[in-house]
Amino acid sequence: MAAPGVHAGLQLFGSTRRLLHKLDKCAVFRSYTGSCALNQNATTALPAGSSEEIVLPRKKKWDKIAVLQALASTVNRDPTAAHYMFQDDPYLFPKTSAEFKLYSLSQESGRNTAKYIINTYPKYFQKDYAEPHIPCLMPEAFEPQINDISEDALNERIQLRQVKAAVDIFDQLIQGGTTVSLETTNKLLDLLCFYGDRDPVRDDQPEHKEADEVEAVQEDFQKRQKGRLRKASDLIGVVWRENNNAERIFNLMPEKNERSFCSLIRGMVKYGAYTKAFSMYADLLNNRMTADVHTFNALLAAAPNTREKYNEKWELIVETLNQMSEQKVQPNLLTFNAVLKSLRKCGSLARTQSLQTLNEMKALGIEPSLATFDHLLGIFYKAASSVRGPTDMIFEVLDEIEGKSFVARDPDDVYFFSNAMRVCLDLKDVELAYRLHQLLGEGENWKLLGDAFQQSVFYGRFFNLLCMMEHIDMVMKWYKDLIPSLYYPNSQGMMDLLQALDTDSRLDLIPQIWKDIKQLGHTNKADLVEEVLALMARDKQSPEVQASFADCSLAVKSVYEVGDRGRTALEWTASALGNITSLLLRAGRMQEAWGILQLFKANNRIPGEALLAEFLECAKERRDNDLAIDLVKLAASFSLTTTAKFASRVKEEFLLSEEQKKSLEELDVLSSDSSDSDSDSDSE
Amino acid sequence: MYRRIILLATRNRSGISPIAEHSINITNQQETKRTSVSTCPNRQRMHYNKGVCAPNNRPFSTSTALSKENEESSAPKTGVTEAKVKEEEPRKSGKENLLDLLSAMKVGVTTKKKFQALKSQKSKEQPRVHPESMESATSMFQKATTEQQAQKESLSPELVAAASAVASSMPFKKSQTESELLQQLRKHESDTEVHKKGETNNIGNIIADMKVGKHPNARSPNRPANQIRFDDDGRGYTHDRGVVNEFDAVRRRKSLFTGKRLNIFPSTTDTTETEPKEVSVPSLWDIELAGQIAAVIKHLPRNGFEEMIQWTKDGKLWQYPINNEAGLEEESDVPFHEHVFLDSHLEDFPKQGPVRHFMELVINGLSKNPYLTVKQKMEHIEWFREYFQQKEEVLKESEAY
Repeated sequence: MAAPGVHAGLQLFGSTRRLLHKLDKCAVFRSYTGSCALNQNATTALPAGSSEEIVLPRKKKWDKIAVLQALASTVNRDPTAAHYMFQDDPYLFPKTSAEFKLYSLSQESGRNTAKYIINTYPKYFQKDYAEPHIPCLMPEAFEPQINDISEDALNERIQLRQVKAAVDIFDQLIQGGTTVSLETTNKLLDLLCFYGDRDPVRDDQPEHKEADEVEAVQEDFQKRQKGRLRKASDLIGVVWRENNNAERIFNLMPEKNERSFCSLIRGMVKYGAYTKAFSMYADLLNNRMTADVHTFNALLAAAPNTREKYNEKWELIVETLNQMSEQKVQPNLLTFNAVLKSLRKCGSLARTQSLQTLNEMKALGIEPSLATFDHLLGIFYKAASSVRGPTDMIFEVLDEIEGKSFVARDPDDVYFFSNAMRVCLDLKDVELAYRLHQLLGEGENWKLLGDAFQQSVFYGRFFNLLCMMEHIDMVMKWYKDLIPSLYYPNSQGMMDLLQALDTDSRLDLIPQIWKDIKQLGHTNKADLVEEVLALMARDKQSPEVQASFADCSLAVKSVYEVGDRGRTALEWTASALGNITSLLLRAGRMQEAWGILQLFKANNRIPGEALLAEFLECAKERRDNDLAIDLVKLAASFSLTTTAKFASRVKEEFLLSEEQKKSLEELDVLSSDSSDSDSDSDSE
Repeated sequence: MYRRIILLATRNRSGISPIAEHSINITNQQETKRTSVSTCPNRQRMHYNKGVCAPNNRPFSTSTALSKENEESSAPKTGVTEAKVKEEEPRKSGKENLLDLLSAMKVGVTTKKKFQALKSQKSKEQPRVHPESMESATSMFQKATTEQQAQKESLSPELVAAASAVASSMPFKKSQTESELLQQLRKHESDTEVHKKGETNNIGNIIADMKVGKHPNARSPNRPANQIRFDDDGRGYTHDRGVVNEFDAVRRRKSLFTGKRLNIFPSTTDTTETEPKEVSVPSLWDIELAGQIAAVIKHLPRNGFEEMIQWTKDGKLWQYPINNEAGLEEESDVPFHEHVFLDSHLEDFPKQGPVRHFMELVINGLSKNPYLTVKQKMEHIEWFREYFQQKEEVLKESEAY
């Protein structure tokens, strides 16, 4: 830049604006004169003195995280690595979903414990080393500082969200004859209604953690069924009790404004007192007041729970919306999402009405969020009913949102992806699933995939669909990409993969898959292990494959012998033993196969006839007479009906010494008095 | 779905009627995948593998050997002749072995060429595939069986001769062996015939064929449409999605946002009305709603930089771009000269003398002190001013003021 010295001086003194001003002046000066300096410096071919203005770029104000964001965007996901949160300790890389859960929860609970200690004993953590000061490292104040009975004390308790203490102070104030201001009372009412007249659980409290984990499973179910985000504390069974503190305080209030009514209505809806909420709304109208948009949203969400019939539900929704319009309340996104959510409970009416609702949104210029589309899919793809026949809704939705980047505007936004993937899976449309997955990569959309549970549901469905529909090469590509960095498949997922391998005749990959199964900790799932063995043993493969299968079968065998990390070992079954034996036989490992055969006896299982026949065949190839006789002996010891048949075969097909023949005959006599063996010896 | 169905069919084959033995394996060689099963023309190659139920119930599978065989034999007939050649080998191991082998043989039909021809013709009329033209698979199979009976005598004389030669080499039950062999061969041939016809007729037949191949007995063709249907793939109930729907590749492109609206709210958005309400302090409800939305999208950092972003937001990390004056917000608007040039604050002091001299030294020190704010420096000077004013008398006496 020209004359840097002048500007440096200016910069020191002047504010940014002044500097820019100076620079502008300088630019103007230069463009009019077309000085030599310009000619020397300019790289453009503009003729000097042209009237074209040089537009200086505006000073770019960098956000404090802009640099980091740019850097972060250069880092791609490493499909072979565990999640970043486990980075610190490679020993604790999770390999199964259970470990993932355990380790991540442990980390979280460690943090919470530290926080709890700091907040419980703030006096030991007063030293402030940081320069500049870092507020979030300092203990938070959870103990009220004002201890007398005053409105300030009440306000402080409300600020600290101590519901019970606040109510106590309020009562004492009222008893003392002090009037509490409307503003403060409304705040108290907000607090009471929001937490349903219970003390909220603090994030760092140990008892909260326990409750959270216990509820976690149920919560997930509830979440999916109701499609509604709930905190663990809501589920412990907070309901709106008759005449609770909120209602009592509400009734005590000498004057009530709209906010008091609205808060109470929202609280009632939140804690399930739907009918009451509507009667409270009627009271509000009788007092010639109007509700705010959030209250209407709550009422719309509550509407289907107060009526029995589908059309009555819808009529109530429409009536509420009309009242909104009459009261000149501007609806927002959440209003329409609440309507659509309620429509999910309206059965057959929902399809046409939901589209009209969507058009209403469009007319009002309200951009739909992912939750809107989630509700639409929920309406058009009901789980069990198909009264109306096929629909193209998912295609239309995807056409609409493809390539867009979304931000969260509704708590329900995070259910879209997993539900849409469910639809893809039900339609078995792999192309659609790819589009959906593509959408996930768009902008910040991955953030809307939800928590770890939602994420595993999404990828689980995706992988299931891939296994079902996709060519095995693509399946394996995705398999390597998704597992285990994004998704830990369950045993059913592995089963699907095995079936995909089977369908595309790539059974030779099984040993490799087995290693993953072992790593994923599914070796204790009997049906999966048996399936692996059965698939390997079913067909004869090329020698190399047979050799690797044999190695793999021995690895599988070890699962039966010792439990994996303290787990109980699997119980041998006849088919598992048989499959391992025949796999070893086919690889020509007689000795080991014979060893497995002994396990039948030890585990009280009986080998199949076909297996013994296969064994005999092998013995014949090797001209191993002793083995053949041992085999017959074994068959005899199981008192198989086919013993005699084997014996005769051995006699016919092997070149036996006299001694061997003799022992064989002895065996014959010993083993069988059945007619079958008699006839055979006769024929001889 | 269909691929899985086949698998199921082959697995359960022992329990299912012979119809279920017609299993079809579709191998898609393309990297880019079909949009749905309906858009068949995408496929480059289809194999129709006919397995005949093995006596020992060994599940039928598409082994690698088979695919080789497919490449070699471009027409069904060569497949059959191959079968003949192989027939001769297993003589000594008896009837069972022979039957085993026969049944394990699969007649491959490479339909690639036929298919491409079909494709060009099909692609013109593809969007208009009528449901009527697609027969229900049950009837399809019935047709197949009747055709099978009709073609009983169509085997070539050489094959029959070969079969009887094999049979005559058997130690016993010669006639029975021969008839069994012939039966197997006929099965191959008739199956091939059926499919040859089927393919040239209509792709829809194949699809319908596959669909019902799953459970031929369980579904009657005139099942009510709104009955709940169970999906075998383990997903539970599924939607009634007709074959027709799968075919309309050119979907009616109707946007989501066309059609009637509720007409409840006035479409003109007058923002003036909402504004007065916005100014009020956010209530607990508002804060919590915002918190809830933030919580659902809160993810753990995926890499070190994201972790640093998180720390920056928490205030634990030095902010980018690096700035020496981070954390000195209080002083950020104060220009440096107010720190350095403090002379202007000495106007109330005497113009000369020891006090003046002292104060000049004080401001000299202050101007070099980076740890005090300007306000603190002023307070410092202020303190001296007051001090000297209080001591004015004494100073004047000692003539220092």
